[in-house]
Amino acid sequence: MSLFVAAFGFGLVSMSVIAIAAVGFTMQFGITNMINLAYGEVMISSAYVAYYLNKAGISIWIGMVVGALFGAAFSFLLNRIVYAPFQRKGTSYLGMVIVSLAISLMMANLLLPIVGYYSVSYQEGTGGLIRLGAIILTTNQILIIGIAVVVMLLIHGLLKYTRLGKAMRATSANPTLARNCGIPTQRVVDAVWLITGALCGLAGVVAALNSDSFAIANGAAFLITILAAAVLGGAGQPYGAMIGAVLIGLITELSAAAWSPEYKEVVAFGVLVLVMVLRPQGLLAKRGAMAAAG
Amino acid sequence: MRGFERYKVVSAVGALVLFVACGGGSSSSGSGLGSGALLVGVIAPFTGVDAALGPAYYAACLAAAPSINNNGGVGGRQVSCQQFDTRGEPADAVPAANQMIASNSNLMAVVGCTSDEAATVAPIINLHHIPMFCMTGQTEFNKTTLPYFHRLVPADIFDAYAMVGSALYGPGHAPYKRAALVFGNDIGSQAFVAPATNAFTKLGGTIVINQPITLGASSYRTEVAAMLATKPDVILTEALGSAGTYLKEVKTQNGGQMIPFIGTSATIDPTWFQQVRDAIGVADLTKYYGGVDLGYSFSGPAYTEFQTNLNAAASTFADAPKYKQRGSTLHLYDGIIMTALAMVATNSADPTVYNPKIKDIANGTSGATVVNTYKDGVAAIKAGKSIRFVGAGGENNFDKYNNSQSGYIWVTYDNQGNEVKVGQMTPQQTQDISAAGGI
Amino acid sequence: MNSYYAINLLIYAGVDIIACLALNLQFGVAGIVNFSFIVFQAVGAYTAAVLSMPPDTAPDYSFQIYVGGLQLPFPIPWIGGAIAGGLLAVPVGFVVLRKLRSDYQAIALLVLSVIANTVITNARPFLNGAAGLALVPAPLADLFDPATYGYFYVGLTAICTALVALVAFRIVNSPYGRTLRAMREHEVAATAIGKNPVALKMTIFIVGGVIAGLSGGILTGYITFWAPSVWLYPETIILFAAVIVGGRGNNLGAVLGALLVPVGFEEVTRFIPSSIGPPGLIPALQWVAIGLLIIGFLWFRPEGVRPEPRRVFEGAPD
Repeated sequence: MSLFVAAFGFGLVSMSVIAIAAVGFTMQFGITNMINLAYGEVMISSAYVAYYLNKAGISIWIGMVVGALFGAAFSFLLNRIVYAPFQRKGTSYLGMVIVSLAISLMMANLLLPIVGYYSVSYQEGTGGLIRLGAIILTTNQILIIGIAVVVMLLIHGLLKYTRLGKAMRATSANPTLARNCGIPTQRVVDAVWLITGALCGLAGVVAALNSDSFAIANGAAFLITILAAAVLGGAGQPYGAMIGAVLIGLITELSAAAWSPEYKEVVAFGVLVLVMVLRPQGLLAKRGAMAAAG
Repeated sequence: MRGFERYKVVSAVGALVLFVACGGGSSSSGSGLGSGALLVGVIAPFTGVDAALGPAYYAACLAAAPSINNNGGVGGRQVSCQQFDTRGEPADAVPAANQMIASNSNLMAVVGCTSDEAATVAPIINLHHIPMFCMTGQTEFNKTTLPYFHRLVPADIFDAYAMVGSALYGPGHAPYKRAALVFGNDIGSQAFVAPATNAFTKLGGTIVINQPITLGASSYRTEVAAMLATKPDVILTEALGSAGTYLKEVKTQNGGQMIPFIGTSATIDPTWFQQVRDAIGVADLTKYYGGVDLGYSFSGPAYTEFQTNLNAAASTFADAPKYKQRGSTLHLYDGIIMTALAMVATNSADPTVYNPKIKDIANGTSGATVVNTYKDGVAAIKAGKSIRFVGAGGENNFDKYNNSQSGYIWVTYDNQGNEVKVGQMTPQQTQDISAAGGI
Repeated sequence: MNSYYAINLLIYAGVDIIACLALNLQFGVAGIVNFSFIVFQAVGAYTAAVLSMPPDTAPDYSFQIYVGGLQLPFPIPWIGGAIAGGLLAVPVGFVVLRKLRSDYQAIALLVLSVIANTVITNARPFLNGAAGLALVPAPLADLFDPATYGYFYVGLTAICTALVALVAFRIVNSPYGRTLRAMREHEVAATAIGKNPVALKMTIFIVGGVIAGLSGGILTGYITFWAPSVWLYPETIILFAAVIVGGRGNNLGAVLGALLVPVGFEEVTRFIPSSIGPPGLIPALQWVAIGLLIIGFLWFRPEGVRPEPRRVFEGAPD
């Protein structure tokens, strides 16, 4: 039984990492209509930026901030230089998916000769062990949970209580109407790429720290969990992504405790399939998700 | 019916071989060693998740080429190396192999062909009569009928026995009684589980947990908690790529204290060393790690030449010298040199002629002169002697399925990542474990 | 000797053309963004493999674990693969085709593809997990001289390609094809004149699944192998790139796209000289080149090489 309690504790850490990443991904989809398959590669690039700083003797917590800034700047430029021009040309969202896959392929393979194919680790103590009953966590893991909670609260505050957040929600619901109501949708989109890029970069460093050891190939692996969490909660829905992250994080750890751990992703994804059968739009649906194709 | 189906598969391969033997070889047969450059194809993953494998094999070729070229080449023909990326994907590997063969009529040998692509690539290379040296431990090649296939590394089960031996009889510790098996759920790794379980259990140990893990997962916390709850004395493991993440978690949850872990011969690898060192620290790695490897001496004239050339290759491939103790790099180096010697010995650039000679040169026929370098080999051949090549990786003993077997030693790492021998099994122990394991 | 590479490319071209035609029916004609397309090819391949292989207890096959192993004679395994692709389309279609907006359909199907691959990779007793199925018998290999077998396989692939092309062209030019296009362009209007969009979509989804399954059977019979690493989700997107580069909605465009992207781009880049730089550099740059080619085509020719012809009623007033 104590194993399940411990697994619950580990699930809290996993869900925190997934939530930071999935909220950024799903906001890109919800507001700018981009299924950005390069998201995982931006994450891993940010993780490497933090790695090189850490190697130069800088604390990983500062590296985390720099990683987030890098993710923001990179995502902003990626949109300005590649995605936005394509969208202005009238490329369909599907064409954009293909563009983003091409970017993802190019990023992974441009990074490979630079960072190498081997796994690396941040040089940072894990901190002491903290025991809460059967739950055993390190101070680093508790910090990761704390970061996730703060980030989620900030996103909540942004969306609910700021003009920018309201503009984002309006743009997400109906970009044409939003523009006609005087919302500068172009600037809103820029802000979205900066904010979600920062989440992406932060998530990259947090995920790398959480894994203790990471390599270039992890970029593609991150993306899979993120996709699952985003779709489970309802694609495009920040709160949905949070719920999706909680469920995926908990289910993978609890099923690793209950059955052979090689099936932990199978179980989590099985739950996802079940949700897709019962509620194809995800747990929280964006308004209009069930509308006719188009 | 089963027998019939089997016949169909085997006969298809056999007939293909016969056909190319008649058609394909005619261009170069009987005309001595010919002229022009020769090529060694390195067909392996250079991109994708297994991108770490290709460079280790390419390094072997970079070292072997000057050994041959600086000593007259193969009858004056210079050897060069070329990489062919399978992208770690069996369907992409098929055109990679076909393109390699179509674009290069001067292939003398092919090296690489890992478990990612051996199943699709080996039959194609065999069809075109090019000797290949494959780095796969897959069971399906234990009794392969492909005559151009060579394997200089033992099948995975022998690794498993050596690990069990290390746990039971290894130096510096009382016999471990409680072992946890932590293997990736890829096929290469899972092949260790059954023989290790059989051998360890029959010899009085207990497998407290057999934990197949998903490779590449972002964390293994629950897995480690479950594993530690069974209180093992030792972990037997191969979880390539995820070793750093898993082992660091062991250390963290066990209150900063590692437990001993024994790795397969695939853990003798510079990238594995670096990954685990960075994750758990060099002190714990050297103290708690035990590995198994083929009995390399890392000395002698063959090894010296190998290392000199590998260091010189740093001008084109900066990481090449790191592979100085990687078994597959050593073996592929030997494979390329043996192929060149077989060509000289048969005075032929026709693989149908020189391919069978590779086995003779590796195993040695009675009265053969032992040589350690290409230069000495050529001299001995010129003097009319038959030779046995004992190279950088030591002796080779091909069985009738072109699988080479040799004995294991127990090893660990020093602080710089150099392999250090700590002991080896006695013949009696080897026999006991093999009997208990069921082979 | 060089003919083997040519044979290889012809067979891959055939498989990709078949796949792109199927995808074009689903996506180009009916507007269904099937981002789990590669799963349908994989189901066909796995089915064809286990129908033609002997049981996993056979001496040469005992190193793997799988269901089936029926040793059925050709062409039953390929037909079985095609049927399996069609059968898979039914539940998948019911889940995602009902009412979801097409971008939601797309991302849901993408996730489905990822899930399917993860499950097969990790659930080893079912289809041998990550290692995949090896020694899949090549169809009718024992009837042919190995010298001519490659040509025979090209012929077999060509016949299948021609059949699929015939079906695809017939569908596109039939009243059914017109209805599908009408639905794609304006679903509400199509519904208003009494068409049932769900049934229409479901039918074409199943047809596409059948063809995709067949393409998997052909591919696995040639490479005599099938594993999860062959059908990762980016393969689907490469096929979508092919259909778009070729010309969405146009069968000829799908054929051209198949020849350009999965065959052309991926093979041409193999010929970049690889002797420069450390190992892995040029192979990595090959991928970069593939990415650049795709992006370049989408930028400079977004309508495709052969766009869908505008179908105008000739008697319409100007």
